[in-house]
Amino acid sequence: MSMIETRDVTKSYRSGEGVMEILHGVSLSIPAGQCAFIVGPSGSGKSTLLHLIGAMDQPTKGQVVIDGQDLTKMTEPEKDLFRRDKIGIIFQAFNLVGNLTAFENVLVPFLPVGITPELRERAKAMLTKVGLGHRLTHRPIQMSGGEQQRVAIARALVKNPQVVLADEPTGQLDTRTGEDVFRILRELQRELGTTLVVVTHDRRFIQPQDMLLEIEDGLLKK
Amino acid sequence: MYRFAWRNLFSRPIRSGLALIGLSIPVFGVVGLMSLSNGLRGLVGDTVKQVQGVMLLRTNTPSPVFSDIDPKLSDEIRKLPGVKNVASEFWRVAPPVDNTSMVLRSLASGSTEKRLSNFLDSPVVLGMNISEHNRLDSAVYQRALIKPPSIGGRFLEESDRGQNRVVLSKKFSIQYPNLDGSPKRPGEKIKIGTEDFEIVGLYETKSLLLDVVLVMDIVTARRLLKAPLDATSALYVEMNSARENERFSKTVEDRWSEIDSRGMNEIEASFGDIMGQIDVLLLMAVGLAFGVGAIGIVNTMIMSIMERVPEIGVLRTNGWSSRQILSLITLESLYLGTVSGIFGCSLAIIGCWVANFYLKDGIRLIPTPTILIEGLVLSILTGMLAGMYPAWRASRWSPMEAIRYDP
Repeated sequence: MSMIETRDVTKSYRSGEGVMEILHGVSLSIPAGQCAFIVGPSGSGKSTLLHLIGAMDQPTKGQVVIDGQDLTKMTEPEKDLFRRDKIGIIFQAFNLVGNLTAFENVLVPFLPVGITPELRERAKAMLTKVGLGHRLTHRPIQMSGGEQQRVAIARALVKNPQVVLADEPTGQLDTRTGEDVFRILRELQRELGTTLVVVTHDRRFIQPQDMLLEIEDGLLKK
Repeated sequence: MYRFAWRNLFSRPIRSGLALIGLSIPVFGVVGLMSLSNGLRGLVGDTVKQVQGVMLLRTNTPSPVFSDIDPKLSDEIRKLPGVKNVASEFWRVAPPVDNTSMVLRSLASGSTEKRLSNFLDSPVVLGMNISEHNRLDSAVYQRALIKPPSIGGRFLEESDRGQNRVVLSKKFSIQYPNLDGSPKRPGEKIKIGTEDFEIVGLYETKSLLLDVVLVMDIVTARRLLKAPLDATSALYVEMNSARENERFSKTVEDRWSEIDSRGMNEIEASFGDIMGQIDVLLLMAVGLAFGVGAIGIVNTMIMSIMERVPEIGVLRTNGWSSRQILSLITLESLYLGTVSGIFGCSLAIIGCWVANFYLKDGIRLIPTPTILIEGLVLSILTGMLAGMYPAWRASRWSPMEAIRYDP
């Protein structure tokens, strides 16, 4: 059964007086629990596709269906809830909240609705799993890039999401740290059975069992 | 979210601090000015409580000092129903006391506060018909006489008629001391204009407006101030019952259009009206200051959110709704308004305390809990309203617009 499905997805942006089409009818299907890599040159539309899958943007045409739910038919508040509960997102620039500790950053999705004791325990456990059990009260500025990205991984996975999206997760890390981070991400993905979609330039992390989706000029190569 | 919003204020402490000061100053201003207004009301209230009769003056005169009425009016007033006592009075600004004029005294004072205080303390002469006044039940100065053994002295008697004898306020006995610096006492002399007067007694009403009067016989006062022998400024009228004051005033004003009959309640009410108008003017001025403070908060919040657009994007991508972003930013400005209010009110309390220390006589700045709460509420509302536009702006970004924004 496919967890992620895009049907003839097109995305265009206004650019000056014209319209620039980034994706030209992309259709794909990623099974549940799969690790999929979207690769391709810069400007090919990889990140745009990832953002559409993550309910962070709206396609110009076509459908994006996650776990049987059509994102294009959702209202904004429904998409907010969907992102909070079902999608975990990891960015290249870590994107942690500077005022919050590592522990609080992991709980960011739940700050507006209140933090239950169970969520606290889960956040601690997740930080321990990414090797930061001793850094709960540290702020981003007190942590290395690798540590910050591990906090971002914990944040993405603490909600036990159906889909984790990673946009160049090792792009700002040195080779060894990048490998460490990716190893942790893979281990947790396997453990939780989450569907993982990674946008990357770096093909070192792709394994034979992974799904490879190559995009060029806004089109998915067969 | 409450703690998160609170902590966000400390992420840019200097900017938040400046916004806090910007809003605290108008809070300080509004609380200070309202305390002053409250103090003035209290002062007039204290004065009015001591004067229970009705005063008849010439229409449109702000004070008996500027009033002249027909001396024969007293006989006609006596014939009106319900009138118990009528006492003639002659009021004027006093000539130099102990060779010191009001202007000289003000100019010679060191500080501006002292000059202002001396201006408010300018002496006034009250010449009273002694026999008529001694019949009054609510005679202000007789009742305020400081009785032996603390100082001694007496009030004016029939034998003082036409004599250079005066009853002085305790305040003036200190402000116009003897050559050795000691306060004047009954039996000692004071020079009023070119004539020496014997002090027969001291009084103290503790009202800034009443404790500036040099009380003497009406004949003496007319002679001292070179006024006609029958010159009369005002009549003080006591009714059989104070409840009749209002009806009496209406009768007098209907019958004598040139006479203004002022019951003390009326004086208090008209002073209240004047103070109300002054309050409006003060609030307009303070409103401008609040506007500037609000602009400071808008500026702070806009700068703050523009720097945090990617962070807001992170929150949005993690499931925060537009409404939750709106709440977060509004909460931050609400906190800023609340802290500014507390800070401003604290400054105002200290300011009033310091001002009261220097304003020793009469006027007090009274920051009541109501005034402090009003200042605080005003600050909170200003903070919240000022934060609404930045909050609305922040809430409109889509997750991707925000996360890709380069500050």
